[in-house]
Amino acid sequence: MTLTWLGRVALYVAFLATLGGIIHQVISLRANRPSRSIRWALVSLAGIVGAVGVMQFALITHNFSLAYVSENNATFTPLLYSITGMWSALEGSLLLWSLLLCAIIVLVLHYYRRRSQDPVVSWAALVLFGVSAFFLGLMCGPADPFIHNADKVLQGAGPNALLQDNPLVAIHPPLLYMGFVGFTVPFAFAIAMLITGRVHDRWALEQRRWTVLAWGVLSVGVVLGAWWSYQVLGWGGFWGWDPVENAALLPWLTATAYIHSVIVQDRRGLFRVWNLSLAIATFALTVLGTFFTRSGVLQSVHAFSSSTLGPLLIGFFFVTVALGVGLLAWRGDRLRSPVGVDHPLSREGLFIANNVLFVGFAVVVLLGTVFPLLYEAVNGGQVTVGTPYFATVAVPMSIVLLVLMSLAPLVGWRNLDVGVLWSRIRVSAWASLIMVVALIIGGVRRPMVLLAYFLATAAAGAAFRTLRGAFIAAKRRHQPWYDALRGPSAGGMVVHLGVVVMALAIVTSTSYTTRNEVTLATGQSTVVSGQYVTFHGFRTVKDSLETATQLRVDVNHHALLPAITTYGGRKAQPVGTPAIDSSLARDVYVTFDAVGGNGAASGAQVEGDLPAGSVVLGVTVEPLLAWLWIGGLLLGVGSALSFVRRRQGDEGDA
Amino acid sequence: MTIVRSFRLWCLAFVCVLAVALLDAPSTASAQVRIAHLESLVKCPACDDLSVAQSNATSSIAVRHDITRRVYEGESDNKILTSLEATYGTSILLSPSTSGLGLLLWLVPLGVLLALAVAGVRMVRRR
Amino acid sequence: MKRTVTMICVVVLAIVIAFSGFLATRKPVGPATEAPSPLLGTLAPALKGHELGGGTFSLRRERGNIVIVNFWASWCPPCIQEAPELSTYAWRVRTHGVVVVGVVFNDTVSSATAFAAHYGSLYPSVIDPGGNIANLYGVTSPPTTFVINRHGRVVATLLGATTATQLAAVVAKVSS
Repeated sequence: MTLTWLGRVALYVAFLATLGGIIHQVISLRANRPSRSIRWALVSLAGIVGAVGVMQFALITHNFSLAYVSENNATFTPLLYSITGMWSALEGSLLLWSLLLCAIIVLVLHYYRRRSQDPVVSWAALVLFGVSAFFLGLMCGPADPFIHNADKVLQGAGPNALLQDNPLVAIHPPLLYMGFVGFTVPFAFAIAMLITGRVHDRWALEQRRWTVLAWGVLSVGVVLGAWWSYQVLGWGGFWGWDPVENAALLPWLTATAYIHSVIVQDRRGLFRVWNLSLAIATFALTVLGTFFTRSGVLQSVHAFSSSTLGPLLIGFFFVTVALGVGLLAWRGDRLRSPVGVDHPLSREGLFIANNVLFVGFAVVVLLGTVFPLLYEAVNGGQVTVGTPYFATVAVPMSIVLLVLMSLAPLVGWRNLDVGVLWSRIRVSAWASLIMVVALIIGGVRRPMVLLAYFLATAAAGAAFRTLRGAFIAAKRRHQPWYDALRGPSAGGMVVHLGVVVMALAIVTSTSYTTRNEVTLATGQSTVVSGQYVTFHGFRTVKDSLETATQLRVDVNHHALLPAITTYGGRKAQPVGTPAIDSSLARDVYVTFDAVGGNGAASGAQVEGDLPAGSVVLGVTVEPLLAWLWIGGLLLGVGSALSFVRRRQGDEGDA
Repeated sequence: MTIVRSFRLWCLAFVCVLAVALLDAPSTASAQVRIAHLESLVKCPACDDLSVAQSNATSSIAVRHDITRRVYEGESDNKILTSLEATYGTSILLSPSTSGLGLLLWLVPLGVLLALAVAGVRMVRRR
Repeated sequence: MKRTVTMICVVVLAIVIAFSGFLATRKPVGPATEAPSPLLGTLAPALKGHELGGGTFSLRRERGNIVIVNFWASWCPPCIQEAPELSTYAWRVRTHGVVVVGVVFNDTVSSATAFAAHYGSLYPSVIDPGGNIANLYGVTSPPTTFVINRHGRVVATLLGATTATQLAAVVAKVSS
């Protein structure tokens, strides 16, 4: 019982400290005093760190007196997967979320300590404490991670098979949560700005920095999640438009719109109401995402088991939106800028199009995600809304997006001078044509692929041209070349390049992927889709953690070990473990699909007519897939650059 | 070369390339293409969001064989999808049929796009 | 002063109220339900094949009996849950004109045999190589149970783990 009570006390300390912070902020606001609520934030952080410490201790020492540990851990679970077991299930994931939230509150309060008498900071701190109180409150009540196991349990169930066969489980959820939690900050400040009526453009740009950080972390987290899915799920794909995946995408879309739109607010004071709405929407969608993941209302590979949290989470979502919308209704019309946009194809005009695109797509993804629920409520039957629907909407959207990326960096503010635009875009335009011609000569004929490469080259051209301008400006200032990377648009252009690379990887791999099933006897070779595949034989791995039947396969003389693995524990279920031969040109994705004979030991599918010693391999060849991850890396690098850019007041701003 | 002339030259090149690209585009009516397209529209019965084209589960392969057989027997795309729906229920299709409530899935995005576009245009006119 | 923003906010709030209310009242995805399979009311598709322990089974031969067809797999937890229930029920009704037959769904012969032996299955199960029977019946995931009346029509479909009581109730409804 000790662990249970230690953990619970730590949680109560954290929760009460958060309440203390709220009360302190309210008092300071009423008395118009500078607040020192960072003390409360620190106590809260100490509490949650304690709770996390207790849980990690229990997981690492396989202490089954906690029900959570007996459900997600076993005596033979390796250290890494014991640690990550904390976020394998619902209650523990809230521990991680709260830890990050309390940490970021301390960070924010420390960062703004010199401005603590500014009411904007005070109100923002109040909102942050409020959000933290909600998540900590959940754990003090319905989502208690420290429930004691009444029976003495000798062996735990172990983590889910798919959560212990790849180390990315240690990186993807924390990054994702950091991104989500990060979006709380612009939300808090947006509420604060609305309440105080001080929509300083300075504050908006300030919040952009926080948002870019959270956005960058979330982007990398999502890409790593896609990479993880790719490596373990066995179908060679990386995105399934699964409800939980969509839940992570929605706030990302509105955050992207926000990051771009705030540039216009900084430059010309426009879009103030729109930007506040986007900041509020991003956080609200984050909460909605937690609802989809934890309520059990939507069927998903990624969802945690259903619970009573559903109504509470949707209630919190509603409160968040009602607060934001209510404040906007009260203040909004007074905040509107007196000036307008002068020309539809000026940079401001293109940013409007950008906003429309991202928010529109977010609405479509949201609709597609909840549509099965709607259909069931109205018609009683089940429907699935999957890739064909989302792809049909995503493709035209991506095309328009690439066009915008080709034009916006080169277009001037306020007005469009077609001549100037052409002189800037000329080189990219010719490069794009040459690219298409080269592809046609090379045998690529699909119109969609050609269009994608045409636009991608133009978009890359715009990014390169902007970067080149930054380098030239740095040289003129007699600064070293890497000083250009701290310029205002360098980070953004690197991100654009990353997006271009990812777009090309996606288009090429989805258009030209070939899937094959090959049957090979032991020692036999074959050529499939240009790859030389040999099957050498079986290999069995049996230890305390897992039992696996591996196939010794050679692809183009690289050794691979596709397998069927059964992990120990109650949740034991054979899972396919794919093997990938990756190169810059193509990925060869090999899965152990079926075995001949009566295949008793392996747990694989048995193929009726095959002799023993033969196997059926799934061999999927995906061109240029590795570039998807490289593009994701560029996204991360670009957002890091954007975060460290020179701020206003430094010399040499473009 | 002046700006206008260089632009015109590029446009000419663009039209030529476009013509070449479109004239020789691969056909979309062959049986293989039809089968691949149908397979991408049908959900693997044992999975949550994979199509039968993507999954190698036994039930998935069974459905693939079924589709291939029907395409070669000359059944239309619509008939194949309808008969699969008749066996498995509406949830077997990855994109709901556009009759009935499914129409909402296409009207709402268009409506939203229109609304936002109007908002955007109004921003431009306002001075 | 124009009240555009206020008006839009009111509209958005109304939509969000409806949306939140809708989502708050959704029930989590749950276990066995009498699901409206599209096969309901139609003639049951052909079902014949080799049984796990040897021998053959054919649905047509069972015309005149009520047949309960249960698609199961050794890897599915609800199947483990319902295995003893099905066996109990099958044994109880074996002389009352009700036949229970299983169909192995997406599983290996060895695992299926081991499962049946372990859980003491008292009714035959048919092997379904290539998943063709499952495809004809539109089975997406086990356990799925079909109740077929004496004339060969599908009269009930159950998705998820079932119990002896539930089966008895359905069969009683069908017989009357």
